[in-house]
Amino acid sequence: MVTHEEIMKIARLAKLSVKPEELDGLTKDMNSIINFADTVNSVAAADSDFDNLNNLANVFREDTVVPSFDREEILKNAPNQEDGYFLVRRKM
Amino acid sequence: MEQYSLILKLGKLLRSGEISCTELTQKFLSAAEKENKRLNAFVKLTPETALKTAAEVDRKLAAKEELPPLAGIPMTLKDNISTNGMETTCCSKILKGYVPIYDATVWKILKEQHAVLLGKANMDEFAMGSSCETSCFGGAKNPHNTQRVAGGSSGGAACAVAGNLAAFSLGSDTGGSIRQPASFCGIVGLKPTYGAVSRYGLIAYASSFDQIGPLTQSVADSALVYDAIAKYDPMDSTSSKKALPAFSSLGKDIRGIKIGVPKEYLEGIREDVKSALQSALKVYESLGAEIVEFSMPSIKYSLPVYYILACAEASSNLGRYDGIRYGYRTDHYADRNEMICKTRSEGFGAEVKRRILLGTYVLSSGYYDAFYKKAQNLRGTLIKAFEDAFAHCDVIAAPTVPMTAFPLNFTARDAVETYLTDICTVPVNIAGLPGISVPCGFGSDSMPVGLQLIGARFSEPALLNTAFQYEQAARSDVFRAVETGVAL
Amino acid sequence: MNYELVCGLETHVELSTKTKIFCSCSTKFGGEPNTHCCPICIGLPGTLPKLNKAVVEYAVMAGLATNCKISPVSKMDRKNYVYPDLSKAYQISQYDMPLCRNGWVELSSGRRIRLNRIHIEEDAGKLVHDRGNTFVDYNRGGVPLIEIVTEPDLRSIAEVQEYVEKLQMILRYIGVSDCKMQEGSLRCDVNVSVRPAGQEPFGTRAEIKNMNSFAHMAKAIEYEYDRQVDLLMSGEKVVQETRRYDESSGCTEGMRGKEDADDYRYFREPDLVTILVSDEMRETIQKRMPEDPQKRIQRFLSEYQLPEADARLLIEHRRIADYFEAAAKGTKNPRTAANCILGQIFARLGTEAEKEQFNVTVSPENLHALILLLDTGKIRMNLVKSTLEKMLDSGKPASDFLSEKDLAGISADDLKAICEKAISDNERAAADYRAGKEKALKAILGSVMKATRGRANPQETEKLLADIIRR
Ligand SMILES: [Mg+2]
Ligand SMILES: [Zn+2]
Repeated sequence: MVTHEEIMKIARLAKLSVKPEELDGLTKDMNSIINFADTVNSVAAADSDFDNLNNLANVFREDTVVPSFDREEILKNAPNQEDGYFLVRRKM
Repeated sequence: MEQYSLILKLGKLLRSGEISCTELTQKFLSAAEKENKRLNAFVKLTPETALKTAAEVDRKLAAKEELPPLAGIPMTLKDNISTNGMETTCCSKILKGYVPIYDATVWKILKEQHAVLLGKANMDEFAMGSSCETSCFGGAKNPHNTQRVAGGSSGGAACAVAGNLAAFSLGSDTGGSIRQPASFCGIVGLKPTYGAVSRYGLIAYASSFDQIGPLTQSVADSALVYDAIAKYDPMDSTSSKKALPAFSSLGKDIRGIKIGVPKEYLEGIREDVKSALQSALKVYESLGAEIVEFSMPSIKYSLPVYYILACAEASSNLGRYDGIRYGYRTDHYADRNEMICKTRSEGFGAEVKRRILLGTYVLSSGYYDAFYKKAQNLRGTLIKAFEDAFAHCDVIAAPTVPMTAFPLNFTARDAVETYLTDICTVPVNIAGLPGISVPCGFGSDSMPVGLQLIGARFSEPALLNTAFQYEQAARSDVFRAVETGVAL
Repeated sequence: MNYELVCGLETHVELSTKTKIFCSCSTKFGGEPNTHCCPICIGLPGTLPKLNKAVVEYAVMAGLATNCKISPVSKMDRKNYVYPDLSKAYQISQYDMPLCRNGWVELSSGRRIRLNRIHIEEDAGKLVHDRGNTFVDYNRGGVPLIEIVTEPDLRSIAEVQEYVEKLQMILRYIGVSDCKMQEGSLRCDVNVSVRPAGQEPFGTRAEIKNMNSFAHMAKAIEYEYDRQVDLLMSGEKVVQETRRYDESSGCTEGMRGKEDADDYRYFREPDLVTILVSDEMRETIQKRMPEDPQKRIQRFLSEYQLPEADARLLIEHRRIADYFEAAAKGTKNPRTAANCILGQIFARLGTEAEKEQFNVTVSPENLHALILLLDTGKIRMNLVKSTLEKMLDSGKPASDFLSEKDLAGISADDLKAICEKAISDNERAAADYRAGKEKALKAILGSVMKATRGRANPQETEKLLADIIRR
């Protein structure tokens, strides 16, 4: 069983805020999902660890500079920007 | 080949001069505008881009230039495929207003081919869902019955093709998101081998599962689009050089091939779906294929394995939506940390938050071994099971979905119950295999049913030909065109 | 009771590759904010990383230079934490399969500081805090780092300092990093614990983050040592935690509000593939690496008969050592070559940075040619100095400044004639010499040297003069 405290800890890690009134419902939801996920533990582990799907290795890029993007483009989608920086303004 | 191919048909009309690309594009644009109110297939129309491309195609046609097969063909992109200068939202509030400054590789390829982009297609938020209803724009409806969902997550992409509002769509398939809506909407949906199509520019849900693929009205069309987009891409480290063209393999005799049917795929399947599948297998027998039933016990735990691993990757992939560089930012906050938490809580929908929380949980200290590590181990087991299976058969046949399209608002009730409907599609993603859904008849509710064919890694040429042979033999019995949209 | 200091270091070093670790943006330091950025390094949705080959090669070099085992198989992992300087909300790093393991760095005492691992990862961007506002610049985001982790083997502040200096020397020497603490291209996290002298088990450690100067690091360790000893002496316990060094107060303080922050939820980076370093690849990299600086010093002593102090000065910067060897190799006067560099050339390079750059107008080939002129007796030592000055001013070879006459030498007959004239011009000195005043000969020699503009061999001339006078 996942407790309220665990849900709050997970939410903090995931940077999601949970309102007190949401906590019961969310804990119930998460419990049913986690119980479902837990069924993997009814199967014995085999000697079959997974690496990557096509067993690729050593996919590299050469160390050659390509001009960076215009700063205007880089900042274009920022909710707030100033002096060429992304900005998070303090709010009171 | 050309019998059921809309792309070849349109190409002929354009090349013969029977219709100009501009006229064709206008037809599709006005149909899309009209029908979208009913179907909600598009979340954004892009008439400017479409007409500009069309004018260029007309110019090239007039100059008798040689054009690639997709030139002038009206199409859509799922809204998780990045388009430079055109808003790309993943149908999430958190990305509303976000305009990419670069193109996804698949869109770059299609642009070079002069395909005509009509608009961005509706989807479940961040591709998480089976009904398209977690979209912040509301779900796409099923063109066969607007009281039913189009399916998900590429619901808009399937809806546009089935509703004759686009000749093809590109969707993405992480746990069935191309094949399931294709099945629900009675069209063809191909999830290519992992690594066949570049993921660069596809907004990630679960990186080791995601794959872009086509939704079309026919197998030949799927092959044409697949051949265009299955290219090695240096921008994607997981991109492979092994993909082979498929269109040229269509029409090859399939006599003597072995089609395996794992019995686990038939458990818990609705009776009408099962009988549609069995009729399809009879067609194959009549074509000279051998049907072999066998057992793949590992299929049973593929669902929890999928949800653990996909959600783990998703929780990491979706961490970047913090309101700093792009997208939504909350109005009211006390400090920076609260800004980030509130932005995310307000910007993400309930299903996305559930999956982020599950993913965070299975990776967190104390649970990693029991969940993430175990699931990763079982992923290896399932990959082996498929390898063993393909040592004994050429293609695996299964239902695409255990049922037909859900009624609207059906999936909202219980998360886990909804997850269970992905049982037939997720094994393919876990193992990185190619899978295709082709229409194979109708359920007792007269909604389309899909037949799923699964191949070994990079066996698209043989897989698509196997699907093609069935389509040639059974099309008139199993495919029903929708009356609305563009008729040609 | 006496307490022993126990330190372990985690050193982050920025690699001097041209481009970032996962995209082709420049790694140049400085630059207007957010001008070395692209969709990949600002983490735009849908972008994917692509590993820079040079990063793997540089890290393998660092591993080889510090006696590490290079892992034949390694991989990249995601370290997840949400912080505005991290554009993807995870740092791509290496967790359980680092590229290099089990190395060591030897101190002058002969003590070996064991390295647990060296792994590759990406740097974060930079935050500027101003009255509660946060400004974010991603120029540094994605710059390649290696993290070098020692075992808790360091026992004093002096050892810590020597270890870091050694590391800087090695990494600069093999050319993988400029290791500039003041520019942040070398940063240390220090793990500090104390234990009663003679006691085997380690005490509980505190980690002091992000030290970027020796002075601060020394003060922070000293403060932390005193703090922990005080705690233990008064019967309290040291808590394992991350602490920050405050420059103004010289104290360390616990970092608050990080309760869950150490749960990084590492997992394999699904957007990247396995890294394999074959024997062949490792050997190729090894071959490209310069000679070990310690061994090179020894070789400079035996091969060129340099004083040890000179050898050390030359080897501090690899370019200078290479320059010296190119100029001195195959000559009879390697010490002159060394003196030219350490004297006249260094006089023109004011700063350490200029020495590191070593942009010298005279090519090593031209210096080599100058030394050969000395070897073959075509010029004398006094001419070497003035010619080198002219070469340094103009960048032209020695031959441009030496006339035919300078280089031709003097025939025996000419020299005899000049000597005879000098004797007759200095009758008095000649008479003094005849009277047994040995030193009087020097005056005559001086005028011969003047007349020959230094081309005459002083020893031979002296002998010749004595012969003529005695005759
Ligand atoms: Mg690190
Ligand atoms: Zn970049």
